Amino acid sequence: MISYLDRYARGATVCHRWPASLKLLLAFAVTLTSVLLPHQAWPAQGVLACFVFAGHSLAGIPFDYLLRRLLAFAPLVMMMSLALPLSQGFAAGWEVMLSILCRSGVAFLAGLWLINVMPFDQLLFTLHRFGMPKLLVAMLAFMYRYVFVLWDEYDRMQTARSARDFGGGSAALRWRIRSQLIGMLLIRAMSRAERVHGAMCARGWDGTVRVFEIPPESVTRNGNHRTI
Amino acid sequence: MLALGVGRLKSTILVVLPYRRRNETECRSHEVGHCQTASSHPIENRIGGQYSRFCFGLLCCHTPQCGVSNWDTVFPRKNWMHIPDGYLSVTVSAATGALAIGAVGLSLRQIQDRLADRVVPLTGMMSAMIFAGQMVNFPLPGVPVSGHLIGGVLAAAVLGPWAGCLAITSVLLVQWALFCDGGMLALGANVLNMAVCGAWGGFAVYTAMRRVVGTGLKGTVASAVVASWLSVMAAACLFCVEFGMSWSRADLSLGNIFALIVSYHAVIGLGEALITGAVISFVWSHRPDLLQGGDGAKTHVASEVGRFVTAGLATSIAIAAFLAPFASEHPDGLEAVAEQTGISQLATTPSALLLEDYEIPAISQMGWQRLSVSLAGIGGTAAVVLLAGSLGAVLRRPAISAADDD
Repeated sequence: MISYLDRYARGATVCHRWPASLKLLLAFAVTLTSVLLPHQAWPAQGVLACFVFAGHSLAGIPFDYLLRRLLAFAPLVMMMSLALPLSQGFAAGWEVMLSILCRSGVAFLAGLWLINVMPFDQLLFTLHRFGMPKLLVAMLAFMYRYVFVLWDEYDRMQTARSARDFGGGSAALRWRIRSQLIGMLLIRAMSRAERVHGAMCARGWDGTVRVFEIPPESVTRNGNHRTI
Repeated sequence: MLALGVGRLKSTILVVLPYRRRNETECRSHEVGHCQTASSHPIENRIGGQYSRFCFGLLCCHTPQCGVSNWDTVFPRKNWMHIPDGYLSVTVSAATGALAIGAVGLSLRQIQDRLADRVVPLTGMMSAMIFAGQMVNFPLPGVPVSGHLIGGVLAAAVLGPWAGCLAITSVLLVQWALFCDGGMLALGANVLNMAVCGAWGGFAVYTAMRRVVGTGLKGTVASAVVASWLSVMAAACLFCVEFGMSWSRADLSLGNIFALIVSYHAVIGLGEALITGAVISFVWSHRPDLLQGGDGAKTHVASEVGRFVTAGLATSIAIAAFLAPFASEHPDGLEAVAEQTGISQLATTPSALLLEDYEIPAISQMGWQRLSVSLAGIGGTAAVVLLAGSLGAVLRRPAISAADDD
């Protein structure tokens, strides 16, 4: 799973070297502008889209990755926005549909740019600097660390399950087996949380969250750094 | 930039092909013989096996920068989507964001006192578990899409409303930060709909109903089922309200769309209810202490007043949410109702006016709208029953409270 989460986020291009807060604010500003613009201002939306696209190519994010993400995104947005004129008997609702399409497209591209130039730890650090409570930051960092562990746990259970039942059985049985898989994952996760908590206490954890004040952007690519 | 595009044109066209097929192959990938013929290493098997086996592997395997291992990022294994940016107006985003920040802040404060040093490991692990659990596919017979866990009620049943709300908030944040699922501005709305409404409201329904039905296995499972169905419905209705407030125009009647969204989520909620119920009953049989208190109990609302307020508020939110989309079929439906009820005390035919407002759209529109109105009616009735139940339970509580609160 590690190989396909924030795959391009640890690059070394110009965009990756920008200060983290600048990147976050830039993406936020583009999103906000795009949502504020009415659909009549489509040239402005186009300029914004070109701007974001230039950002993508500066960051070295491959074009086909963008295209595939957009392909996955478009049907869901189209479904919802097409339903608008459809429900009006094609008499009205077109402009709302157009605004939704423009805005969500540009905003989605901007978000995609942000997640691909900003590793998760950098994002957490920036959010902390912008005033997110320490406790929530620590929770998120903890979650990010154990998502991979639990994912592998789930993967082992899934492999074991498919080795035993070959995906057969009635629909009800399959649903039950998968629910039990989630239940087992829950039980193991909670037991693991207890063990981890014990280990943390043994190392002097007292519930106070201490944040290491070194900005993560100072660490070069592929560094195995933890900020929190 | 253009050269980049042209250079990759070939691979781009080729990778479009398997898109339609993906969902079909996904269900088959665990069937007989898959494990033997696909690559032997389990992880490799998961990433590459199902594509390379169904003959378009040759087409999409060898793009230099986006190998097949990228597919699950490109198409996360979830068929629903959180609200992206652009759906809600800035005002609504700001308002929901403020509400969400308030709710998350309240949860943080509550939990800090109760759980102290266990907050981080317990809540972090729970959100990681929900995140992983959402990847489990529940095949739907005959349809190329599959169902998934959402997990608000599950998290709240184990950790209590405060930590549950924080866990789902973390899940939503990470899904935004890693998958770009859900928008940046709409994050507040997503947190409000799923984390706050799902965990707080779900937990309120869950505890209230458990107190009425009983805290045994059957009571717990039944409460979890009802709570998770209601939480999905309430989230859908909240979305309708937010969407309606963003796009209320004179020429646009959103009633049909709302009916569609609500009926669709009634089905999704059914899946969520089934999954949550099954998971809860499994956990009950193996680690009942996770559901019966222990760590969870310490995060629950402690005082009678707090308990009552949470239950009452959340349930009334659910009721309001059920009715609001249908009342707002006219741009100013809620105001109209308020006016009419105000006038009705003076006017000659009060009940006729009230009924008129609800019946005309239902009759003049298509059949499924009537269906969903009645569906909402059923849900609303259930919520009312639950509210009554919680009231009864609260009235009964002082006698028990000394015994089961430590």
